[in-house]
Amino acid sequence: MTDRAGHIGTPHLREGALRHLAGRGDFVSDQQLPRMVHAAFLRSPMAHGTIVSLDLDEARASAGVVAVFTAADLNPRCADWTSQLDHFVGMTSAPQNMLAAEEVLWVGHPIVMVVARTRAEAEDACDKIFVDFEELETVAGIDVALNADTPPAASGVDSNLCYKNELKTAGVDDAFANAALIVEGNFAFGRHTAVTLEPRAIIADHDPATGQLTVRHGTQTPFQFQDVYARHFGVPDHKVRVIAPDVGGSFGMKLHVYNEEMATVAAALILNRPVKFLADRLESFVTDIHAREHRIHARMAFDADGTMLAMDVDDVAPIGAFSAYPRTSVVEGNQAYRLMGAPYKMKEYRGQLTVLFQNKVQTSQYRAVGHPIACQVTEALLDRAAAELGIDPWELRARNVVPDDAYPAESATGYRFEKLSHEASLQKLRSLMDYDGLRAEQTALREKGIYRGIGLATFVEITNPGVAFYGVGGARISAQDGAVVRLTPGGEVHCAISVTEQGQGTETIIAQIVADQLGVAPSQVKVTTGDTDATPSGGAAWACRGAGIGGETALRAGRKLAERITDIAAALLQADPANLKLRDGAVVDRGTGEVRLTLAEIGRIATYRPDTLPGGVDHSLSVAQHFAPSGYPFGFTNGVQAAWIEVDTETGLVTLLKHWVVEDCGRIINPLLVDEQIRGGVVQGLGAALFEECLYDEMGQLLNGSLADYLVPMAGEMPDIVISHIETPTEDTILGAKGVGEAGTAAAGAAVLNAVNDALHPLGTRLTQTPMTPARILAALGIGQA
Amino acid sequence: MELTGTHTLSQPPEIVWAGLFDATMLAESIPGCEDLDQTSDTTFAATVKLKIGPVSAKFKGDVELSDIVEPQSCLLSGKGSGGMAGFAKGSARVELRAENGGTILTYTADAALGGKLASLGSRLIQSTANKLANEFFTNFGEVLSRRTFSNKSRQE
Repeated sequence: MTDRAGHIGTPHLREGALRHLAGRGDFVSDQQLPRMVHAAFLRSPMAHGTIVSLDLDEARASAGVVAVFTAADLNPRCADWTSQLDHFVGMTSAPQNMLAAEEVLWVGHPIVMVVARTRAEAEDACDKIFVDFEELETVAGIDVALNADTPPAASGVDSNLCYKNELKTAGVDDAFANAALIVEGNFAFGRHTAVTLEPRAIIADHDPATGQLTVRHGTQTPFQFQDVYARHFGVPDHKVRVIAPDVGGSFGMKLHVYNEEMATVAAALILNRPVKFLADRLESFVTDIHAREHRIHARMAFDADGTMLAMDVDDVAPIGAFSAYPRTSVVEGNQAYRLMGAPYKMKEYRGQLTVLFQNKVQTSQYRAVGHPIACQVTEALLDRAAAELGIDPWELRARNVVPDDAYPAESATGYRFEKLSHEASLQKLRSLMDYDGLRAEQTALREKGIYRGIGLATFVEITNPGVAFYGVGGARISAQDGAVVRLTPGGEVHCAISVTEQGQGTETIIAQIVADQLGVAPSQVKVTTGDTDATPSGGAAWACRGAGIGGETALRAGRKLAERITDIAAALLQADPANLKLRDGAVVDRGTGEVRLTLAEIGRIATYRPDTLPGGVDHSLSVAQHFAPSGYPFGFTNGVQAAWIEVDTETGLVTLLKHWVVEDCGRIINPLLVDEQIRGGVVQGLGAALFEECLYDEMGQLLNGSLADYLVPMAGEMPDIVISHIETPTEDTILGAKGVGEAGTAAAGAAVLNAVNDALHPLGTRLTQTPMTPARILAALGIGQA
Repeated sequence: MELTGTHTLSQPPEIVWAGLFDATMLAESIPGCEDLDQTSDTTFAATVKLKIGPVSAKFKGDVELSDIVEPQSCLLSGKGSGGMAGFAKGSARVELRAENGGTILTYTADAALGGKLASLGSRLIQSTANKLANEFFTNFGEVLSRRTFSNKSRQE
């Protein structure tokens, strides 16, 4: 085994980035297959209604049309899906299928699928379909959905209540009754969506000769979809191959079941030829999952010296007309109300979660599920308390975080933390940002009529999930991952692993980890991902598990192969394996470092001349390893962010001046990629805080379905993001790595909300709704209406 | 979305009123009208081609006149389906008042869009709707003048 730390912890460039730069990307969007046809969908223009009649004659006769499918043609091919997790007791959702049969549930709900030679011809045919609808009462908005007299958003459910639950500690009422200070607030969060660079894309093909279904799918979870397609279309899973080549961004959006992807598979099963669906941007806006619509009333109790005693949170989270499948749309609210106050010593808690149906596109898991909501509410209330108590916001956090020497610890909501580093992170942030210097600058500028603000946000992030997330709830979603590592006949290394790559650099870190176990350079390790026929089955990419779980899988597989190689070498050299190790592509003497056999020689002998090995020596140069987390249910990480901003009180515009992140993701495998993840995450968080919102009218019509009207953060608006680390490896694994993909998004919005409110403090107003648009800021200042 | 407007026409209310119930006149006045049939005394079926922002659509729909107080006021309600583009629906209360031998026509309209039209065109709908309403009444006035003039010529 190698004795050098080697490549783990050192910066390595992503090989895939060079390939993309050279124009050699391989995205499903661009793929063309022989005999391939294209799908387009006629969609509901209304949020809730009944289909009275459907005239397809002209569409069927339209140029280039191969097939026109309605619900009656297509839905019988696919078993209904109903979103459910057993641990959400009492949760309900209406069964769904591919095309709307009678009832349309949201604007964009597909009704008819047209398959034609080209997408343009398919769209032209859609335009020739005549549908007559009868409008039904639309549920659009929280108050309408909460009203018991409102008819349900879908006929398959009895009411608009999807799920309701309460968490309550025994002493919460006493804590509030005896508190010296109670701060409270109402908070509103707008829906936003992923806006991936590459929209959803799929090509399905079926070979009737072999019964093989091959699906090229721009997804982050190919094994989950292999299982979904197998079960819902009645194909044995070994005959279902899902290939996820390059994927242009996922962010959680590409792991949910969508009607269009299922319909594309169904069409391929009927037509026995490749069928492609590529969402255009408007289709993405009206069918991709949206995220994070919440309305929250929260209170926080303190004693006289600023000790946080308790929180009381009422979270109302409307989703779509049904819960997303197979992970449910309840998880967002479930994480939001369980993460409240998580970084702090707070002992008592009451949280109520109400998940509601409405006639809008489904909401579901999106990068940093629930985290930004919990963080924003907790940190905003903390700042209010700091102002009331006359304690500096940094100081109030430092007094209340769980001390670094108090682990293991448990939150009031029941999360168990192995070891976090809030105190060290806060200290590091303070010097990194020159907190005292900035406060002085802020005061000086205020005298000149310049309104700058500093916002702090402490956070914890859920990573490395075991089966507690979905598996225990009965969902067929893997918490384990698997890898096959092999030494090639030429002495190089190949690793096929079930975690997947969407641009975050998974393949690069896997190569680094495997390289270190085998004493080779990462460039000698080829990593294959994203093909259910080519790698073992596993969870793939979700909830920050690539490095912590995938990395540990790769490490253990690499070590297993290293042992095998050492055993073969020991047999050939008649040496004690304990006296050998792997280094620089060779088996060397552990004591002297002398090269005894190169890996190329071992590859050659084991492959072409196994007869020359002593009897009984296992010459298999491929090893398989699976790994599932078995210690803590989740590998929590922590950190703190700070924003430095300026508000123009005449225009309502916020200028982001600088942003700082101190983060502890355990063992860092590749500092370049960790920082990229944090920066990207921060930008996504800032988008939700300042720009992004899916706007609907009271009829459930989406009003900003294009990038002309829906604002995403652009490079020009983004601040410099300064990043620093604390490293507290988890002891649950050999590798010690935790996740980092959602840390940036978790707290960026909270930091900037607090910064805006800090800037506006002398003007006696504050914001409680995101995104903080210029109109909302001006309205808070008493100018115009939001 | 609400729209209001006032137009002055040089013909007396009785003539304007008759025009509002005349399929040929309406067909000539409605912007983008490709086809218009009177299906009963108070209902019309129309095909209209429109461009709202980036979306072009051919609408097929029905218009109904109700609350009729001849020749003073009525309510026009309509709904058109634009296929893949979505739908448009709305109603307008139209009032006619005689003044100086002509007519002051005022309307208060409420319009709503659905589907792609709403998602892509909401920002532009107010200006587009105002423009279409203006175009309609301008056309209507012109057609009315032309007709009145040619009728007069024939009588003379």
